[in-house]
Amino acid sequence: MNIDNIELDQVRQARSEIQGLDIDVYGLIKRFGDRQVLHGLDLAIAPGEFVAIVGRSGCGKSTLLRLLAGLDGESAGEIRLDGRPAAAHKEDVRMMFQDARLLPWRTVIQNIAIGLTGSRQEVRERALEVLARVGLADRADEWPARLSGGQRQRVALARALIHKPRLLLLDEPLGALDALTRIEMQRLIESIWKQQQFTALLVTHDVSEAVALGDRIVLVEEGRITLDESVALVRPREHGEPAFARLESRVLKRLMTIEAVTSRNQIRGRVADIVLDDVLSEVRIETPAGVVTSTVLTRSLSEQPLEIGAEVLATFKSNEVVLAAA
Amino acid sequence: MADTAFPIAGAVPGGRLAALFRHLGRRLVPWLVPLAILVVWEVAARVGWLSSRVLPEPLAVVKAGVALAASGELLQHVRVSAGRAFTGFAIGGGLGLLLGLLTGSFRKVEIALDTTLQMIRNIPPLALIPLVILWFGIDETAKLFLIALGVFFSVYINTFHGIRSVDPALIEMGRSYGLKGWSLYREIILPGALSSILVGVRYGLGFMWVILIVAETISAQAGIGYMTMNAREFLQTDVVLLGIVLYALLGKLADVAARQLERRWLKWNAAYTAA
Repeated sequence: MNIDNIELDQVRQARSEIQGLDIDVYGLIKRFGDRQVLHGLDLAIAPGEFVAIVGRSGCGKSTLLRLLAGLDGESAGEIRLDGRPAAAHKEDVRMMFQDARLLPWRTVIQNIAIGLTGSRQEVRERALEVLARVGLADRADEWPARLSGGQRQRVALARALIHKPRLLLLDEPLGALDALTRIEMQRLIESIWKQQQFTALLVTHDVSEAVALGDRIVLVEEGRITLDESVALVRPREHGEPAFARLESRVLKRLMTIEAVTSRNQIRGRVADIVLDDVLSEVRIETPAGVVTSTVLTRSLSEQPLEIGAEVLATFKSNEVVLAAA
Repeated sequence: MADTAFPIAGAVPGGRLAALFRHLGRRLVPWLVPLAILVVWEVAARVGWLSSRVLPEPLAVVKAGVALAASGELLQHVRVSAGRAFTGFAIGGGLGLLLGLLTGSFRKVEIALDTTLQMIRNIPPLALIPLVILWFGIDETAKLFLIALGVFFSVYINTFHGIRSVDPALIEMGRSYGLKGWSLYREIILPGALSSILVGVRYGLGFMWVILIVAETISAQAGIGYMTMNAREFLQTDVVLLGIVLYALLGKLADVAARQLERRWLKWNAAYTAA
């Protein structure tokens, strides 16, 4: 009996050691009718990596997720999951939506068991196991209508986890929750991700959520990636920590700068020269339209890795030129 | 409202009794008016204000019912009528459900069939009576045909609409979790359409009795309609009235049964469990 249990645990252990999917996206283009949503997007994600995608609504981040999930087809370009097309990995990819999308006519545990095969007893046991992991074991036989928003998302998370996904796509799953529940859920998602080591891709509006969870933060703007930054903070990350706050405000500022302007007053270029001074430095940028000079605080030069030859996006404001990595 | 206005009512001795009376009152009040009407009617008949040829006294109706029940005639008529109604309902409702599922699920079937069905829907089934008599004569088939036709459309339209209004987000979720074909149908589409289908069933049941009554007055050798038409010949107003009451009771019974189904199958939906 003892041996059986140990063996069973070993089997479970082996099962839970899932290798995350490797994602490669090249020149991805998606059109809906006349409207082009993704403009040749490139993205590479290593197995087991947690990438947070931020961007304002309509920038194409959800579309990217739907293409990865195989819910829509790409217009051009290529998606490779472990070197194979997305359609070949439908079983390995699970998605959490902004609304939990639980079936109201099925109990919590029946919702989790959706799409599973096997004997009723076995399915129930497995479902109870994941339900316990999201902390809802005692609500197994309730109707979803009786649960709170946060609990519904927990059930949706359990429903995704029971399939042992190698890639978990999270399309703003915490957007509708209150601040406290959201932080709780972030912790839960992080701990399960650590344990199961799947690749995770989180789309969010909330920069602090992106900083809390992402190994990398990717900013998508008008169907392109305009910022791709690694987060070097130690997990679990505390929202109040200075390093956390600094990074959050930097990404936020970057997001706001982009949101404040349109592409009409932006120009792409390359850093040609940097003239250092004690307080203010000058950065000269070669653009197709000629050389542009931007005055930057020397202190913030070290924050943004500006070096000669780097691709930048120069934004013209009424009285200054703002630079951003391109 | 009263409970919140007097929160200490429960603590007062006798408060529970008061609550019981309130509860009983709420149950009884709706029946006061019908009861009063029956009493006035009974009295009016006894005093002689109402001729028994216009309306027999309620007691006479009850007596007629008891006498017919004792002879076994009543049960026979009810059985024939109910059998007729439900056979027609099964045929019409079954076809309506099947075609509604098909046109709701497959765009091609909808294009091929829906326009035709919508055109036929606009013909009142009772307008077809002369034609139906020419086709099937005046025996059972004609009655079943009319009932089936009447029931068909309410089930068909509500099934079609129910399937079409299933939340596409849920269908997408099901697909992304590997459901397709029959399993997608069983898990998501059918349960999603069920409340609408049951509305169609309830409407269909209501329609079923109306058409049954008309069909049975055309001609019949048995059934409640036959019983009342026969009684009319002999000026037995009490039996005529009994027939009307029986129709009402059967209609109510069918509706209660349909509500029970709703409560059972839609118990996940707070709107149906609270009632």
